[in-house]
Amino acid sequence: MGWACGWVYMQTAAPPAEALPAGPQSVRQLREAEEAAPVFQYAGKAAKRKDRVFVWGFSYSGALGVPSFVKPDVSWKKPRRIQSTPYRLETEEKISSAACGYGFTLLSSKTTDITKVWGMGLNKDSQLGFQRSIRDRTKGYEYVLEPSPIPLPLEKPQQTRVLQVSCGRAHSLILTDSEGVFAMGNNSYGQCGRKVVEDETYSESHLIHQLKEFDSRVVQVVCGQDHSLFRTKKGAVYACGWGADGQTGLGHYSITSVPTKLCGDITGVNIIQVSSYGDCCLAVSDEGDVFGWGNSEYLQLASVTETTQVNVPRHLPFKIGKVKEAACGGTGNMVLTEEGNVFVWGYGILGKGPNLIETAVPEMIPPSLFGCSDFSPDIRVAHIRCGLSQFAALTNRGELFVWGKNLRGCLGTGRMEDQYFPWRVTVPGEVVDVACGVDHMVSMVKSFT
Amino acid sequence: LQPPAPGYGSALHLSGGGAEAATGPDTVSVAVRGPRFRELKIGAGHRLDVKASGVFVLGIGHGNKLLTDLYNCHLTKVYTVGGLFGKATDDFSDTGKLVEKTTFDHITREKLERILAVIQGTNHKALLMHSNIDMKTQEAYELAVKGLIRPMGKSPPIIIAIRCLQFTLPEFQLEIQCLHETQQYLRKIVHEIGLELKSSAVCTQVRRIRDGVFTLDDALLRTQWNLKNIQNAIWDCQLKVKTEIEKTLGHQDKSPLHKMDVEMAQAADS
Repeated sequence: MGWACGWVYMQTAAPPAEALPAGPQSVRQLREAEEAAPVFQYAGKAAKRKDRVFVWGFSYSGALGVPSFVKPDVSWKKPRRIQSTPYRLETEEKISSAACGYGFTLLSSKTTDITKVWGMGLNKDSQLGFQRSIRDRTKGYEYVLEPSPIPLPLEKPQQTRVLQVSCGRAHSLILTDSEGVFAMGNNSYGQCGRKVVEDETYSESHLIHQLKEFDSRVVQVVCGQDHSLFRTKKGAVYACGWGADGQTGLGHYSITSVPTKLCGDITGVNIIQVSSYGDCCLAVSDEGDVFGWGNSEYLQLASVTETTQVNVPRHLPFKIGKVKEAACGGTGNMVLTEEGNVFVWGYGILGKGPNLIETAVPEMIPPSLFGCSDFSPDIRVAHIRCGLSQFAALTNRGELFVWGKNLRGCLGTGRMEDQYFPWRVTVPGEVVDVACGVDHMVSMVKSFT
Repeated sequence: LQPPAPGYGSALHLSGGGAEAATGPDTVSVAVRGPRFRELKIGAGHRLDVKASGVFVLGIGHGNKLLTDLYNCHLTKVYTVGGLFGKATDDFSDTGKLVEKTTFDHITREKLERILAVIQGTNHKALLMHSNIDMKTQEAYELAVKGLIRPMGKSPPIIIAIRCLQFTLPEFQLEIQCLHETQQYLRKIVHEIGLELKSSAVCTQVRRIRDGVFTLDDALLRTQWNLKNIQNAIWDCQLKVKTEIEKTLGHQDKSPLHKMDVEMAQAADS
């Protein structure tokens, strides 16, 4: 195309086409032709990096948000059951927070527009709110195949911002900056923070419960399998929901339907991060200590007790340095220290080869597996995330490493085998954040240029 | 008396003439003795194409066998590659036919380094995939931790490490450590980096600074191509080459076949 423009230019300017010999041209003529060639601009000087969302994993639940995977728009295409490598999801707004539940996904943006949260996937318990069906205006969808807006009953919809979302097995939590926490979905164990109603039907429900009674503003919400955790600005942790494994940490094994403050070893401690996805919970204090409670059948808390259920937060006396972040999976746990080292313990594919199946004491994953070498010595792990049986780590260079059970292609490596040590996921961009679910993952990525 | 053979004699004459002044057979001139080396078997190591420069390994006589052994070690090579933003040519170098000119004022060093990190990442994956090790074994994990996984057979070109040495728009210089590559492949990488940055780039220089165990310090300049320097160079590198071959191929002696041979020999003796 460049030469076509050049030809037009030469028509208006001096030599006609016959003057230039067809054979080899002299260096001077070549240089002149080169100088006369037009310059194309693909990106301006102030070009901004674009924000993108990539999804991968099991698609039939609709959790990936790509309808053509489930119902192809052309008759000759086959439905795609598993998307084994990252696939770009087009979104209207910049997504700041994403969460993967058990077969569904929530995406949220910090915008002041009316629509702040989108949901896709399983909706049999209204975990995505009420999605009105187009065909029958009185019914709702059971499966939502593409990101659909979730209407929130906000008092000031054009001022309030959604900070974070979290998803559990059949319920979800949405955190706002000034209107507390909104909970939707299944409430059979009180995980939505409201009283359990007997024989309540959760599908096609319009009910979204608002939670505001905490000691201070809630800054983080975490959904476990059937329980919810809230961390407040003052460093306290509240819980509600299913407690048979002690995951509510309130000193008993029954259900709780009102968010209640936890005591135990975290009384008076300023907690800066909480994590949970299955039935075990971890909390990190500002001094770098780790506290755990909940299920310990897989040696998650075996360093302090032999009992398989712990219903009060206990301090885990690990001598691994100051802990910055913790991530709790279904059977395995992971922490990240201030130096950037990753430690794993628990049961399952922990990331140190097929020989390490279970350990009660944290073991470090060698930094060389995350790309740290003599050639690039300053690579560190910046964030860690856990799915039900997968682990993910984000480095400071924006690379994503995954390992664990490759359930229905959820690791995104392109292969269907389980991964026994950290493996890079090829994403066309710098990975900013990742959310792990049971059989799918969502990542927020910034493009390179 | 035979006059020295053309070509051979002149090269050897340069050093032989002035240096030796002692008694004995050395005082007899080359013209009398004839050339010291009548036939030399010279083999070349990894190729270097016309537009590239740098370390080029040659083997003489017994060295040819060592060359084959070194090739089977699959050691990495390091290049400094110079690039220029703003244009794209058909053969990816700055002497080719111009295809397109683009702007490049939006390119910064951070953007370039991000692209390089991704290139290194995907190539690291390719490295693990082509090394023919089952990823599910503990052995694979151990080797991955030590960084010793490497394809020990034929594989497409793989970049082990890449980093930016200099960056002054529109020029930049990269250091690339690679395996099984060709220089044209490196030029293509420069072109693709240009495309990825939404501009275009051509390669201005490809210079090999290391080939396996041989570095720039071991290499002889054009002015140093005489017998004494060559002899000294061979002598200095002997130990390095021997240790590298033993280290990489030596553990293959412990393979089952070798053990079987030893057992059979022992059985035959008894």
